[in-house]
Amino acid sequence: MLRYLLGLFVVLACTVQAQNLPRAASGKPDMQGIWQVTAGSGADLERLAGTLPYLPAALAQKQANYSARSSKDPMNRCWLPGTPRVMLLDYPFEITQTDAALAVTFQWQQVYRLIYTTASKSRYEGVESWMGHSRGHWEGDVLVVEVKDFNDRSWLDAAGNFHSGAMQVVERYQLRDADTIVYQATVTDAKVFSKPWVLNVEFKRQKGQPRLMEYQCQAEKEEANGAFERDDRFWYGAKIPATNEPFDAKASNTKPLPKSDATVHRMADGTPDMSGYFLTDAGGANYGLEGTKGNFLTPGAKGVVIDPADGNLPYQQWARTERVNREQPYRGYDDPTAHCFVAGVPRSLYVPSPFHIVQTKDRVVFLHERMAWREIDLKRREHLPDATRLWQGDSIGHFEGDTLVVDTRNFNGKAWHNEVGDVLSHMQTIQETFTPVSEGKIIYRATVSDPIPYKRPWTIELPLNRMDDELLEVACLEDNNDLQHLKDVRDEYRAAQAKK
Amino acid sequence: MNNRIKSLLSAAAVLLGGTGCLFSGTASAHHSFSAEYDAEKPISFTGKVTEMKWSNPHGWIFLDVTDDKGKVTNWALETSQSNALIRRGWRKEDLPVGTVLKIEGWQARNGTPTGNIRAVTLSDGRRLFAGTSNQNAQEEK
Repeated sequence: MLRYLLGLFVVLACTVQAQNLPRAASGKPDMQGIWQVTAGSGADLERLAGTLPYLPAALAQKQANYSARSSKDPMNRCWLPGTPRVMLLDYPFEITQTDAALAVTFQWQQVYRLIYTTASKSRYEGVESWMGHSRGHWEGDVLVVEVKDFNDRSWLDAAGNFHSGAMQVVERYQLRDADTIVYQATVTDAKVFSKPWVLNVEFKRQKGQPRLMEYQCQAEKEEANGAFERDDRFWYGAKIPATNEPFDAKASNTKPLPKSDATVHRMADGTPDMSGYFLTDAGGANYGLEGTKGNFLTPGAKGVVIDPADGNLPYQQWARTERVNREQPYRGYDDPTAHCFVAGVPRSLYVPSPFHIVQTKDRVVFLHERMAWREIDLKRREHLPDATRLWQGDSIGHFEGDTLVVDTRNFNGKAWHNEVGDVLSHMQTIQETFTPVSEGKIIYRATVSDPIPYKRPWTIELPLNRMDDELLEVACLEDNNDLQHLKDVRDEYRAAQAKK
Repeated sequence: MNNRIKSLLSAAAVLLGGTGCLFSGTASAHHSFSAEYDAEKPISFTGKVTEMKWSNPHGWIFLDVTDDKGKVTNWALETSQSNALIRRGWRKEDLPVGTVLKIEGWQARNGTPTGNIRAVTLSDGRRLFAGTSNQNAQEEK
């Protein structure tokens, strides 16, 4: 009887506790927010999971890895961390949760995971990747995520623990209280371990952060060692040149916004729901915002500028000279995306790669296939302090009718608008509109106001097309064979100049 | 330059001028390919695959090419992004070592056996970066 009462008490206590959890409209626990594991958890998994059950040959490999860890750890080269290692970094991450998918975005190198909860199988099953394919489902209040299709290149931690491409990970995420996620990962890899092993940690809610920030591991490294050179004309701190023609801030696009039809997807409250997989009909914007013919390897561009009406960007003359100069072969090295740095805004939307949108009432998250995320905050009304500068800027947005209106600023000025080098500076502010006109199409506009290189604001327009597909992974930095070639071309040019 | 590496400027013009090619994002570069490769050095030859890197935003095919005198050169040939191939239904198993490929493209400015390829044809006539049931692949080549 006593045992029965005790059991009843435990059940009741747990029920009460579970009822206090934040819950989504679907009734599932709502894990949305910014989280971080206890510091130092990812350094050596054997401190968390005990001695790992290595097969003999694999143990020898692990010991060799440990001895060479400072040079061999892929994360020391800013390469993708893999899963579950990415969950254990000493950097915060954010969960954005809908019924169809969870976006897990990481401050570290702007890596993300997209956990689909609607289909049990990846469309690209068997295609290997660093982060694995993640499929989630709910077992009561527990989110269970199966991750597989790994390559064998990532490590499990900083101590040389490793895995093969046969690894499969089953993660369990359970909200214990509003501020704690109990996380368990079961790792199975018959090529490396004699049996499955289990890792248990907790994620704590990170309070008081206005948003998830950027830690651009590789960019910071290359700035520090000089491989990526500062340009004082455009980076944060640059001022409007005294010789500039005056900036006409009032000149603006007057084209009315398009209308939404009845097929547009909507949230429960009637707001348009842009969630899903999209590919931009970019018109070659990555090879020129203005129309160009292209050359033997670079395709042409049809021109996407709708204001000014002539389709030309309203450059200050010196900035136009810089833009033309950037097309020289020896400047190819200077395009930040050649270094695999984040493309920025609006370029992330017209690089020739798809993206997936995860939208909640609080935010709209863009997961770009080229391994960078961007978040539009729908709740915050004030931008970050002026001195906080980001590659993707700081975006806050709201709906006006059926159009998402976004204001982005706090740029660092380090990006290019495309690979032919359309110019931007840290002073740019960008007003974007996303108008879903039908189930399958969003009309996107961006008005860029940048008083350093331009004489007036200008506006581009692009259709974003919804498609039935899934994201793949782009491990740009990990497989970047081009940068050395580009550097050779530049160095050869500089050597020839020095001789003159 | 050996006989198998012929100037094909006219073929290049046809390739680039083809309908839909101009705006479809053929190069999909994350920088200007023209910075690395030389318009004056078109290449066209047949060889055997020694390795393929299914990487992004660009893949690499390594090809053993035998010239008229029997000398074998291993060419490193840059392709569009491998994700475009995957979306077209290609998998690693489809291009094992030894697969014979005919390629057309342009050589690197530095004169090494490195090239950027635009057209890749298997011996059965299938083309690697063309023909797809997936509309997404078209934009992403």
